[in-house]
Amino acid sequence: MHVVKASDQSPPSLLSGDNRVRLENWLAAQAGASRVVVTEDGRLGGGAISLNLAVTLDIDGGPIAGRHACVLRAEGGGRISASIGKLREFVVLRAAFAGGVMAPEPLFACDDPAVLGHDFYIMRRADGLGAGHAVTRSEAAQPELARELGRQLGRLHRITPETEGLERLGEAPECPAHETLAQYRRWFGDLGRRDPVIAWGLRWMEVNAPLPGAVVLCHRDFRTGNYLVKDGALTAILDWEFAGFSDPMEDLGWFCARSWRFRRPDREAGGIADRADFYAGYEETSGRRVDPARVAYWETAAYLRWAAIAVEQGLRHSSGAESSLELALTGRMLPEIELDMLRHLRAIGSMASGAVEKVA
Amino acid sequence: MRTNPDARGLLQIAASTFRSDVLPHVAPEARFAALMVANALDIAERELKGLDAAGHSMLGALALLYGEDADDALSGDDLRKRVEALQHRLCIEIAAGDFDHEGQDVLMDSLEAIVQARLGISNPKALG
Repeated sequence: MHVVKASDQSPPSLLSGDNRVRLENWLAAQAGASRVVVTEDGRLGGGAISLNLAVTLDIDGGPIAGRHACVLRAEGGGRISASIGKLREFVVLRAAFAGGVMAPEPLFACDDPAVLGHDFYIMRRADGLGAGHAVTRSEAAQPELARELGRQLGRLHRITPETEGLERLGEAPECPAHETLAQYRRWFGDLGRRDPVIAWGLRWMEVNAPLPGAVVLCHRDFRTGNYLVKDGALTAILDWEFAGFSDPMEDLGWFCARSWRFRRPDREAGGIADRADFYAGYEETSGRRVDPARVAYWETAAYLRWAAIAVEQGLRHSSGAESSLELALTGRMLPEIELDMLRHLRAIGSMASGAVEKVA
Repeated sequence: MRTNPDARGLLQIAASTFRSDVLPHVAPEARFAALMVANALDIAERELKGLDAAGHSMLGALALLYGEDADDALSGDDLRKRVEALQHRLCIEIAAGDFDHEGQDVLMDSLEAIVQARLGISNPKALG
């Protein structure tokens, strides 16, 4: 029996034959080296959208001579609407790394299709455990990990649209809530007129949209499952492909959404600790206070965003664009995500009116 | 002509045989895929068995809002079309702001019941 997984798909062998030679020559030129040897160490997870290949670079000569454990991230078979493309991702990673965020150090980016056929970049490889179920397995809460994740996010949110090098990301939104809502309406399309839970979520976002405040660089997929932990300590924050400018509270709402608590839905900060631990770390480094009402708004937005992504993943399969059981099953997660959103709306019901200054 | 076992019967025995006789022997590198296969077979089985029941639950949920449209006698495509028509109507009313100021409690009850009916097929474990 052969089951096709999204991560098994295109391209069949990125570093076979001529590709490897072209990559090594290109890297040698980029690194100012006399010679670069690329060894493939196997595929890495998290490849539903991008292709992640573990590689070792042996660099002779130049400023970064030596052996480097790296990841080559290439554009996957099917890019989904929310992702920003590998070159923009590289720019984001560079800004985050420069801002002191524990992101893997980005080393090289390539937009020349003559090298591997796809845009790709290379970053340092971090060590640790990433899978959400594994990270949330611990019997004891992990308040220090949550606090450190809060600090990291706070550092990221000090990066503003004026930061040099981020022009590639496009204009910052004037009103993140309204732009997000418009984007969701496009993503859902007809479903917003067929599925009353989606319709209610969209209406709720419209009626409760907060006035625009700070707009900063957001990760937009900052959650358990997208960072690495080793011996209980954070080693890296991964998966930057959805990054963009938005309301900083968007990332906090996403992190705390029930969808990413895995084994521990009772631990509201990513299934690892209480919100208070995460928020406290955030306030240490971000230079701003957490606004719980805004976080609650963006948590509603988080369920809708995840719902839209799940629907799109399912359609990638159903449309024939990319036959994959994993994508098909993701499409089937919609009611689960919707139930989480309804639970959230019930829980915040009493604060929904009046707690935030609203646009509408 | 009706064959025996029918599609539902075949799926049921295929899913349970897969879980009991195949899954325990799958190599670690194929385990994730095998679990996905088992999950997909289970969903398909529940859908074949319970789609009409879920449809009636959804109709019942919508009856909280539109009592006059509930009809226990419907089944199959007719049932599906009725549920779709009522959901469409509800979407239009929601978007028009009909629930902005009142009726939110009944709406929330109705939406939860609709989602629970669908979850009963796609992931009953999440109902807890």
